[in-house]
Amino acid sequence: MRKKVLVMALICGLILSGCAGTGKQPAPDCAPKEDDRLVIYTAHKKEVWWPIVKEFEERTGIWVDVVSGGTNELLERISEERDEPRADVMFGGGVESLEFYRDCFEPYVCEGAGEIQAQFRAPDDLWTPFSSLPVVLIYNTKLVGAQWLNGWDDLLAPKFHGKIAFADPGISGSSFTGLVTMLYALGGDREETLRHFASNLKGGQLDSSGAVVSSVAEGSDWVGVTLEETALKHMAAGEDIALVYPADGTSSVPDGSALVKGAPHGENARLFLDFTVSLDVQQLMEDQFYRRSVRTDVESGEKLIDLGKIPLVDYDVGWASGNRESVLMSWAFYLGGEEEP
Amino acid sequence: MRHFWSFRNRLFVAFLAVSLVPLLICSTLLLQMFRLRLTDAAGTEALEHLNSVCRELDALSNGFARTADFLQGDALVAEALTLGSGETTQVYNQLFDATEGMRNYARFDLYDLEGRWHYSTYNLPVQRQLPTSWGVLQRAGRGKMTFTVCETVTDVNRPLLMGAVLLTDVSGSPFGYLVASVYQTNFRNLLEGKYGAQNDLILLSQYWRPAYCAEPALAASLAPVLRERLLAGEALDGTAGDFLYSVAHHESTGLYLVLQRPRVFTQDTMRLLYTISISSALVCVAVSVLMSLKLSRQMFRPIERLHSAIGEVVHNNLDVYVAPYQEDELGELARRFNGMVVALKRNQEELVENQRELNEAQIRMLQAQLNPHFLCNTLDTMKWISKINKVPQVALMSTNLADILRFCISPEEFVPLGREGEVLERYIEIQKIRLSGAFSFELDLPMELEDCLVPKMILQPIVENAILHGLDGVEEGMIRVEVRAEPEGLLRVRVTDNGRGLPPDMEGPYASRGRELSWGHLGLYNVDTILLKYYGTGFGLYLENRTDGPGAAVTAVLPIRREEEPEC
Repeated sequence: MRKKVLVMALICGLILSGCAGTGKQPAPDCAPKEDDRLVIYTAHKKEVWWPIVKEFEERTGIWVDVVSGGTNELLERISEERDEPRADVMFGGGVESLEFYRDCFEPYVCEGAGEIQAQFRAPDDLWTPFSSLPVVLIYNTKLVGAQWLNGWDDLLAPKFHGKIAFADPGISGSSFTGLVTMLYALGGDREETLRHFASNLKGGQLDSSGAVVSSVAEGSDWVGVTLEETALKHMAAGEDIALVYPADGTSSVPDGSALVKGAPHGENARLFLDFTVSLDVQQLMEDQFYRRSVRTDVESGEKLIDLGKIPLVDYDVGWASGNRESVLMSWAFYLGGEEEP
Repeated sequence: MRHFWSFRNRLFVAFLAVSLVPLLICSTLLLQMFRLRLTDAAGTEALEHLNSVCRELDALSNGFARTADFLQGDALVAEALTLGSGETTQVYNQLFDATEGMRNYARFDLYDLEGRWHYSTYNLPVQRQLPTSWGVLQRAGRGKMTFTVCETVTDVNRPLLMGAVLLTDVSGSPFGYLVASVYQTNFRNLLEGKYGAQNDLILLSQYWRPAYCAEPALAASLAPVLRERLLAGEALDGTAGDFLYSVAHHESTGLYLVLQRPRVFTQDTMRLLYTISISSALVCVAVSVLMSLKLSRQMFRPIERLHSAIGEVVHNNLDVYVAPYQEDELGELARRFNGMVVALKRNQEELVENQRELNEAQIRMLQAQLNPHFLCNTLDTMKWISKINKVPQVALMSTNLADILRFCISPEEFVPLGREGEVLERYIEIQKIRLSGAFSFELDLPMELEDCLVPKMILQPIVENAILHGLDGVEEGMIRVEVRAEPEGLLRVRVTDNGRGLPPDMEGPYASRGRELSWGHLGLYNVDTILLKYYGTGFGLYLENRTDGPGAAVTAVLPIRREEEPEC
């Protein structure tokens, strides 16, 4: 009996080893050590983050793992992972959004902080600014005359009723910044302005900020609200749009990066934050991406007009972030109210 | 027939084990060895491919180094780059001399220290200005070429790999950059056919970003996956991929070479092999079933026949015959059985024959008892009549005859020897009257043997035989009956006469001759038969001629038995 069992076991073993031994390759040993890694969550487009990340890798020898996505999506994720963070750096995203999730981040004074324009610096160094992004108005050059659009007040005029491309501020950070800028620029009763603008939109808002430019370029809408960088990029690509810096003032809110609280690779994350505001990166940004540097010492090329020549409103990031919920609620209310009848 | 099935099952299991176990072991071992050998061979092959690719890359980077060395310290080029002066053709001559043999594999450009493009071995670059604080020029090594992988793996119009080196004049101060750009077509020229037709090669940067792949689409889709797996610490082939990956690192360019080769044993191949193994196992099972059925049938047919034949024998039918229809142990068994039945039958027939003979003897004796009372009474009557009529011989004869007759019809089978002697003497008296006393008779019976039990009427036929045949025509005949006890508890009764003696063919044990020969000696035959039947072979009559004179001797030997002994 024992012998039988033994033989059976032997056969089973042979067969099992035959099945199991289909060969697993071992993991290669060229994987980087934990010290040489960095995990970045980025809301930037690949064309922006890729050269910076690549250069960072080449210069520091740190392997960067990039997870890209929408600003709010990534911030939500960081917030969920708060107890066991995977990300080291949140790279990109409007600073209002970063402020909104301030619990997830750790203040850091980056190297070369002195060279950064004071207006773009976070009061408590929670985030590190990356580039300043003025909100601009755009119009379709075929459909709209040269002097039709000058400032925010034109967006409330009946001539553009139902012809305004505007992204949902609940989804798009830049759209929210645009909305708040408008409130600042127009002054007066904010609720009234919101109601007025919502009614002029005729209930139509777009799903993403990217759709604004294409909608205007196609002619579906005549005018739109977007960021200077986006507008310039599309203009350079030869699309039929032109941009207007609102005469009644605009904002130049920076986007930024922030060090995640409890980051697994904190040292490398700090290196990366230093790198994003380094002269080399900031210069590259001005040269190639139509983004305004936050540094004082970057030579502005001919592509961007001097920020000093643009009328600015006194935009309070703290206020925008703190009142985000209430503004969005009012906005949703007025927009929906217009749809009601 | 329960045991029948169980035996068949056991046969089946045995066949199954005998066929299936070696098959399974064999196929598993084969499979394993096959797999190991193939995997091993494929691994070696992959390594060779990677080595040959490495050698090509070595040749490339060595060529670049040679070019750089050629241009280092070149005063003409230095002057042209720093001052922007000098003969363009002379500079180009230098550049083309330096890049001799390498121009098929890369384009070479000369940039000044500001990153402005000046000379090229190819047409104009897309960018006339390279940033010196960024990218490839920023990292350009002094004397040693540093390589940068560009981001556009799918773009055929932009370089995939750029190497830059800072050129210095004789005094050691830099005057410009030499940039070597390797395009997709250059890589293709360099590496085509070096890594196996069914394989794919991906060149990855130091950080596992894609640099080059013969199938650009594959690089774009696969490279991020490979990097992800590497960073996650997983095996590169993932969980269920049909490909294996071998990695090599090329030192001087910092590139990683990843060779993707199809898995030798894909799921499909394994499935096929398993299917074959399982089918063979099924065939084995089927063959085992058939063989066990056939063999058990072969075994059980004869056994079944034997079984029913034995049943017949049990029911006393001895005419059975089992046909031994095969030449093996079972056939032998059947033959033995047949022989046994035949022997049994013969025994039984002999038994019946013996019984019949015994019956015949008894019937003959019974025949002799026909109407005995009537005869006895008649004889008594005759005795009285002869006494009345004064014929004493008749009276004596009838008295003796009546005694003999009474003795004969008595129910006992065994009588004491003394009584037998008395009856014998009665008979002798009758014979003496018949034959006018022409012979003498002597009975030598010791007193101690008188109570020995012997079968009734065994002496009289012997003596009668001696009188009728032995003393026929002999003057002064003499009959002598001698009874002696022998050792080993035997009793010897010897009847001798002094007559003519026996013909030679009558001598010897009586039982040894056929019954036909003893015809005319029915008395002797009967006695012999009685002795044989009662006491078995070894007992019986022995006939011989006397050695001490004329005449014959008939000897009967039988065991001594007495009254008190229990009868057998």
